[in-house]
Amino acid sequence: MLNVENLHVSYGGIRALKGVSLRVDAGEIVTIIGANGAGKSTLLNAVTGFLKPAAGTISFKGKPLSRRPDLIVRDGICHVPEGRLVFANLSVENNLAMGAYLRNDKKAVAGDLEKVFALFPRLKERCKQSAGTLSGGEQQMLAMGRALMTDGELVLMDEPSLGLAPLLVQTVFEIIGEIHKLGKTILLVEQNAFRALSVADRAYVLEQGRIVKEGKASDVAADPAVRDAYLGAESKAGG
Amino acid sequence: MAQFLQQMVNGLSIGSVYALMAVGYSLVYSVMNFSNFAHGGVIMFGAYFGFFGITLLKLPFPAAFVLAFVGTAILAVLIERIAYKPLRERKAPFLYFIISAMGASIFLENIIIATIGPTFRTYPDVFGRSSIALGPVAVGRLDLIMFAVSAVCLTGLVLFVEKTRMGRAIQASAYNMKAAALMGVNTDRVVMIVFAIGGMLAGIAGVFFGMKYTVYPQIGNITTKSFVAAVFGGLGSLPGAVLGSILLGIIETLVAGYLSSQFRDLIAFVILIGVLVFRPTGIMGKTTEDKA
Ligand SMILES: Nc1ncnc2c1ncn2[C@@H]1O[C@H](COP(=O)(O)OP(=O)(O)O)[C@@H](O)[C@H]1O
Ligand SMILES: [Mg+2]
Repeated sequence: MLNVENLHVSYGGIRALKGVSLRVDAGEIVTIIGANGAGKSTLLNAVTGFLKPAAGTISFKGKPLSRRPDLIVRDGICHVPEGRLVFANLSVENNLAMGAYLRNDKKAVAGDLEKVFALFPRLKERCKQSAGTLSGGEQQMLAMGRALMTDGELVLMDEPSLGLAPLLVQTVFEIIGEIHKLGKTILLVEQNAFRALSVADRAYVLEQGRIVKEGKASDVAADPAVRDAYLGAESKAGG
Repeated sequence: MAQFLQQMVNGLSIGSVYALMAVGYSLVYSVMNFSNFAHGGVIMFGAYFGFFGITLLKLPFPAAFVLAFVGTAILAVLIERIAYKPLRERKAPFLYFIISAMGASIFLENIIIATIGPTFRTYPDVFGRSSIALGPVAVGRLDLIMFAVSAVCLTGLVLFVEKTRMGRAIQASAYNMKAAALMGVNTDRVVMIVFAIGGMLAGIAGVFFGMKYTVYPQIGNITTKSFVAAVFGGLGSLPGAVLGSILLGIIETLVAGYLSSQFRDLIAFVILIGVLVFRPTGIMGKTTEDKA
């Protein structure tokens, strides 16, 4: 579904991605794990058109991807950004309406809104409330709900568990499973490698702008080098 | 009492025109995060478009009025494309935008001085000088029309921003351009629309100021007042800009009526400094965390 080939991205002189190739097939959950600064967000921002690659190609469903963020959303990719970026000046309801910005099929939009409320009952309760007054966990749910409202087939998630209390982290990963069951393909970027690997089908390990390992999530999780570098104490605690 | 009411009515009328300028200013600020100092030049062009529409093209007032605001909407969009868009694309620091805006402002003023000349011109008397009695208060026809047109424009703007899909996209972009783009908003188009609206309202304000006072190349300096009003109300907030403008209009006419018209502008700036000292975000402004 998504094919990234030999992608290079730089910020001025800083080379953040040095020839990254990966693919995500329809129906999969793929995770990219890597330390802070490895280039995970850079990769997602290049896919959604916010960064211009210096070299390499990105194709979606067999066609080269559009090069403008709004057209990429139209193509069917949605992105739950790092730091959530909910519209704090709008109500929860209007945040979700923004997700459906490009859609004219009122019935289908209403149906998707029901699905989002079923997934996140909290958002329904807080419908009229300003998004800026939500807690961090609720904002993460709103960011996910808003992305689902775009009806994209591929959902990119940038560290959805970042900064959340352990109990909420658990919830977020359960929700990722639920979103997958709705028929979405998911590319999940995480520092929380243990949880990401347990929910994903396949995984890539990104280090300093390069993919250093890839494979079935369970194989990557079992890899001794990965266990040392990314799983540490958590894997022991989690078994 | 009658005199007080009279001052209030005059203040309301001039304040509503300040509001037309201030909301355009505020709208651009809310989306672009910089003060568009070229706004005054656009107002000045509006005053000239209307003036020459009536005098040179012999258009009836409504047609000259439309010519003025369509002309300034296009002018504002052109300024954005030429002076700001290249900076936006390079993600330039905001200081560059301000410098570019000042450049555009100087350019607009001087192109008028160089081509049309620096003379003051007076609009022909379109509405007549007689006034309309509303109880104890006599309202000039121009004042009444200014107020009515401004009220319609401001209401229309609020409805547009609050109730339409594009309006919501403007609010979303004002909060965070990237997040708006992630929803499929063409943010470049949002910027264009915001400048077109701001330019249109500036053109309307320009015609009214030209009619109320005179037309001259520095008439755009009046935007300092809309800037004061926008900061007073809370930069980036539309209701704040309207409220700030109306208050400024009323305070000014009261000062001019009861003290002296020489103190009028002095008071405006004392208010600005006072607000900045005691409440940097203005009456209804966003907090600084929201709008870094
Ligand atoms: N806007 C930017 N300007 C310059 N360098 C950046 C910028 N954003 C990220 N970088 C650099 O690019 C590298 C990758 O960053 P990022 O993609 O944010 O990593 P991750 O999301 O994996 O933590 C880091 O070295 C970071 O310092
Ligand atoms: Mg990141």
